[in-house]
Amino acid sequence: MQSTASQTADPASGLDVHAERVGVQFSARGASVEALRDLSLEAPAGSFTVLIGPNGCGKSTFLRLVAGLLRPAAGSIAVGGTPPRAGDRRVGLGYQQPRLLPWRSTLENVALPLELRGISTDESRARALEALARVGLAAAAQLRPGELSGGMQQRAALARALIDDPPVLLLDEPFSALDALTRETFDGELQRVWLERPRTVLLVTHSVAEAIQLGDRIAVMSAAPGRVVRSVEVDLPRPRPAELLGERHAAEIASEVRSLLAAVHPAELRPWGEGAA
Amino acid sequence: MTRIAAALVSLAAFVALWKLVTLVGGYPDYILPAPEVVAARAARAIGSGVLWQHTAATLLEVVLGFTLGAVTAVVAGIALAKSLLIERVLSPYIVAAQAVPILALAPLLDIWFGGGLLARVVICALIVFFPIAIATMVGIRSADPLLAEMLRSLGARPGQITARLEIPSALPVIFGGLRVGVTLAVIGAVVAEWAGASLGLGVLINIANQGLFDTALMFVALATLAVIGLVFYGLVLLVERRVLPQS
Repeated sequence: MQSTASQTADPASGLDVHAERVGVQFSARGASVEALRDLSLEAPAGSFTVLIGPNGCGKSTFLRLVAGLLRPAAGSIAVGGTPPRAGDRRVGLGYQQPRLLPWRSTLENVALPLELRGISTDESRARALEALARVGLAAAAQLRPGELSGGMQQRAALARALIDDPPVLLLDEPFSALDALTRETFDGELQRVWLERPRTVLLVTHSVAEAIQLGDRIAVMSAAPGRVVRSVEVDLPRPRPAELLGERHAAEIASEVRSLLAAVHPAELRPWGEGAA
Repeated sequence: MTRIAAALVSLAAFVALWKLVTLVGGYPDYILPAPEVVAARAARAIGSGVLWQHTAATLLEVVLGFTLGAVTAVVAGIALAKSLLIERVLSPYIVAAQAVPILALAPLLDIWFGGGLLARVVICALIVFFPIAIATMVGIRSADPLLAEMLRSLGARPGQITARLEIPSALPVIFGGLRVGVTLAVIGAVVAEWAGASLGLGVLINIANQGLFDTALMFVALATLAVIGLVFYGLVLLVERRVLPQS
């Protein structure tokens, strides 16, 4: 386990994530479902990688592999050169649903990772308050999740994922349940948080615009069994505004990503009436 | 305040109706004594100290039996929820024990546990056990698997997941079981006293009924049991409100 001091020594730190021909099968009621096959991905330390692909292509499964919550049946996965395990402190995780404990205050929810490690209440509360301040939620520290809006809940979840300052941050469609306007604000803030303190980020999304605004590269995945079909570099200067897609080069990247998506999953993206495959 | 007022009005109406029935029916006292007859009998029983003697014995059984039953039920409920093996092995016995009338089991348990206070506490605990164990099991299982995965991703050990997720999620359901259990504890105490005791409100009912045809005293004992049930139910509600801030 790396010490916190050595992690924070290099401000542009982060650990590389390396997946080599990963395969995963689930067995459900006797039948085996192949979720991932031959998935390879290289996310350099401190980079922002966006995973995009059709529904059910195994994007979330892949994040669970990187978080060590699941082991690959084939291939190998490494974070900073070693395989991740459940509860790996090198990895912070944000989900589609905020997954806050409803009976705890926002502050107690954000302090949870530290509390589980046996850090004193005083210290974990102080650090949770700092983490909340970073995402603009200090005023809501004593409120319960039920008293927060959806966007505020996701901010709290982000603060919880970042409280231990993990070198790798995994985000599984964290903004998909938010309205469009809140989502744009959020994308901007996520970019700001990342620019302030770069770390390796893997973000799963369905939104091409979000992928282009945030990613250094966009990994396009195929339908199940999922694999990375192609990585598209996003060589645009930062910080990138939300209205980025109006620009020519961004629009070109977007259309490249869209055509890749159409190729891997024709049935869902083809206009109605052209007949199913 | 309005709540207490409503309860008082309802009690007054009940007594008035009761009085009306005795007036219209003109029943002898050993079938249906009038409210004032029962009140006078209660005053005598309180004055002589007899009522308190029997009430104290029953209270002790209810408190000890409910505590023993509830604590073992919560522990068993957690074990049943966490282990499929334990559930498969034990649940048939638990259900069967519940299906056998406690009234039939009580004399046997009275012999096994030596016929003293312990026997009565065990009988009381047994009747309390079932609803609380089942509520705990159901409650623990209702914990959100997505929250469990979140905790696992943070490195929580199984014990930490139980303490921080499963028990808090189960609490509302467990309290539902405790509310049922606490009223059953009063029934359990009376049944246990019938199986063998020299003191207690169950004993007082028997004395009043069989020996003396003192129906008014029986009413006094029954009313006391009802009050005990209401008070303990209220106490559980009070604790529930303290423990569950969201309700």
